[in-house]
Amino acid sequence: MNLESIDFKLFVEVDNNPFILFDSSGHILYLNNSAEMLLCYVGTKELYDLALTYAPKTFGHKNTIHSLEYEAFSFYSLMVGYETDEQIYLRLYNKPLVQTKMSICNESLISTDINTLLEANITLFQLESSAAISLFVDQELPTFKLDQNHFSKMLRKALSTFIDSPSLNIILKLIVGEYILINDKKHQIIELILKAPKRKIDFDDEINQLANQTHITASLKPETIKFQIPLIV
Amino acid sequence: MENKRLFNSTSTKIQYITKGLELSKSLFVSSLIIGEANIGKKSLVKSIFPDAKWVDGHNKTKLKQALSEHDELIINNFEMYGDYNINDFNGKRIIAISNASSFPSQVDSLFAFIYTMPSLKERLEDVKYLGDIFAKEVKSIFNTKEISMLNLADIDLIDNTKSLKKAIFEHYIYNTITPEQIEQMLYNYFKKELGGNNDYAKYLTIFENPLIKAGLAKFGSQLKLSSVLGINRNTLRKKVYELGIN
Repeated sequence: MNLESIDFKLFVEVDNNPFILFDSSGHILYLNNSAEMLLCYVGTKELYDLALTYAPKTFGHKNTIHSLEYEAFSFYSLMVGYETDEQIYLRLYNKPLVQTKMSICNESLISTDINTLLEANITLFQLESSAAISLFVDQELPTFKLDQNHFSKMLRKALSTFIDSPSLNIILKLIVGEYILINDKKHQIIELILKAPKRKIDFDDEINQLANQTHITASLKPETIKFQIPLIV
Repeated sequence: MENKRLFNSTSTKIQYITKGLELSKSLFVSSLIIGEANIGKKSLVKSIFPDAKWVDGHNKTKLKQALSEHDELIINNFEMYGDYNINDFNGKRIIAISNASSFPSQVDSLFAFIYTMPSLKERLEDVKYLGDIFAKEVKSIFNTKEISMLNLADIDLIDNTKSLKKAIFEHYIYNTITPEQIEQMLYNYFKKELGGNNDYAKYLTIFENPLIKAGLAKFGSQLKLSSVLGINRNTLRKKVYELGIN
């Protein structure tokens, strides 16, 4: 096989683990999609300093197990490397979310365009909130099976925790390279991130309960809610 | 025509509710629309789900049967159903409508979407719009080309669109009624009410009161009015006193 004809850059581009290449002054030379989203929550300098802190002592690559939390992002490990004095890269590895053993009740699952469901929930949210909404969604996501009623109840509760926030960032994307096991079957994961300067935590227990009922992994933090949704086809 | 009106509401909140319901046409989710009576909840739902089956919350047997037979259902007067331990909503498109302002907490977990529709008092931008529609209705019913405009800000909107429509119809009738119609109205009224022992004096005030009040409003002084009415000004002053007119 002629490996030279393969565009490896694409694999880095779509990888769910953030990858950033800096020059010797800390300017970004390249970043992948995941790193672009990470930079909404953490500054370039902080990440460059992180790379310098964990850089190998000489040319090469060094992997360090280290827990990092940036709003909706949780990492368990990072890799830093350089082959010349001019460039240094930082790669962060997502922490796997704790999964409980799940089974599916197929009767309640309906083929769903999640963008439509999300839009309906945002519309309801806008009735009560004047938050400036910033949407970063993948409109090309395939339809998949979902318990629409339960999911909407959960999303309504989740959005209501941001009702008093002046702004809200919403990210909806397909995670590449990660799967969720349900009934011994691998499913791709769709990730929905809600992020704002502040949120109420009154409904967090209820949100967790609703997420469990719909095979969704919820991660609730003071300013962020992250749902990982199995893409069941 | 009724449906078209609400769809064209200029209220931002109504537009959001409309958009949410439009989106739910392609989803199997349960929605609850709450708000005061006569604010257009039913008309809005009819305009978006014209072919859906309707059932009333008063009739529990029919509602249960409809839930088992239909995947798309509109439940009117949902608060009358009372049994909130329903688990038949999943996988269906349910739109429940209610005038109730509060519900037990378990209702919150029944519905994917809960919309609170603002009253007409809270969406004054719609008062002018609906006022124009009701004025057109007046013109059509009474076969008239022009009607005098009512100051919409003066209307008490306690019953929302019902109050608005009533005020516009009353305004038209009060301002265009003919002597023959007044005579007919009084005839009907007296025929129903007469039966005491001093009715002449009692019912004379029905003529005198509006006559003197309108005259004073129009001419400004008792002196001028006595001249217009062709009665002695002392007689007029006595009448004003007896009738308690300021």
